[in-house]
Amino acid sequence: MSYQEKKTAVTVILGVILLVAYCLFILPQYQLGVNSEDLKFWASSILTFIGISIIVNIIIQIGFHISLAISIAINERTGNEDHINKKIKLEMVEDERDHIIELKSLRFGYYFAGAGLLISLFSLVLGYPAAIMLNILLLTFMIGSIIEGIVQYYYYRKNS
Amino acid sequence: MSIQIKVNNNVRKFRFFSNEMTQAELAEQVGVSRQTIISIESGKYLPSLELSFRIAELFKVSISEIFSYEVLTD
Repeated sequence: MSYQEKKTAVTVILGVILLVAYCLFILPQYQLGVNSEDLKFWASSILTFIGISIIVNIIIQIGFHISLAISIAINERTGNEDHINKKIKLEMVEDERDHIIELKSLRFGYYFAGAGLLISLFSLVLGYPAAIMLNILLLTFMIGSIIEGIVQYYYYRKNS
Repeated sequence: MSIQIKVNNNVRKFRFFSNEMTQAELAEQVGVSRQTIISIESGKYLPSLELSFRIAELFKVSISEIFSYEVLTD
C-alpha cells in the first residue's frame, strides 16, 4: 500500500470517527430538549467541532508523517538522516496522477454536499427549525468528505 | 463516430536498457511517484504530454519510440 493510499485510508477512518463523535454529541442535545431555535448555540457548537476536527486532523497527519519516517528507518536499517529524508520525500511526492484522482473524487464529494444543501433548504420549506438545516448541512458535508476519501482510495487501488 | 485508440508503451524496455534502472530511480528523475510509473507501465494510466516528454528526454529518444498507439476497429 502506497503512502497516498495509507493517507487516504487514515483520512476516511478519521472522518468516520468525527462523524460518529458529532452524532453522539447532537443526539443527547435533542433529547435534553435544547431549543432548536437557539441558533447561537448550534453555530458555536458547529464552529467548535470544526475547530476540533482541524486540530485532530493536523495531529494525525503529523503522527502519520513520524510513523512513516520510523518505518522507513527500520526498513532501510540505517540512521542516515539524509537518506531517510530523501526516501520520505520520494514517498510523499504528489504528481499529476494524484491530482487527477483528487479531482475525480472531489466531484463525488461536491455532488453529495450539493444534495445536502438542497435537502437542508427543503427542510426549511417543510417547516423544520433552522438548527435542523444547519445539522443537515454539516452532516452531508462530513459524509461527502468520507465518500470523497472512499472514491479516492478506490481510484488508487484501481490504478495501481 | 469517434476514433478509438489504444496506447502502448515501452517504458519497461527502456528502463531495462538503461542499466536496469529501477522504477523508483525513474520516478525520482522525472519527478513523479513510483506508483505512477507502475501505472504507466501496466497501461492503467496515460501520462500527460509533459511527463511523456520528460521520460523521452531522460532516455534520449523520441516520444514515439516510447509511446505508440493502434487504432481499434470493431
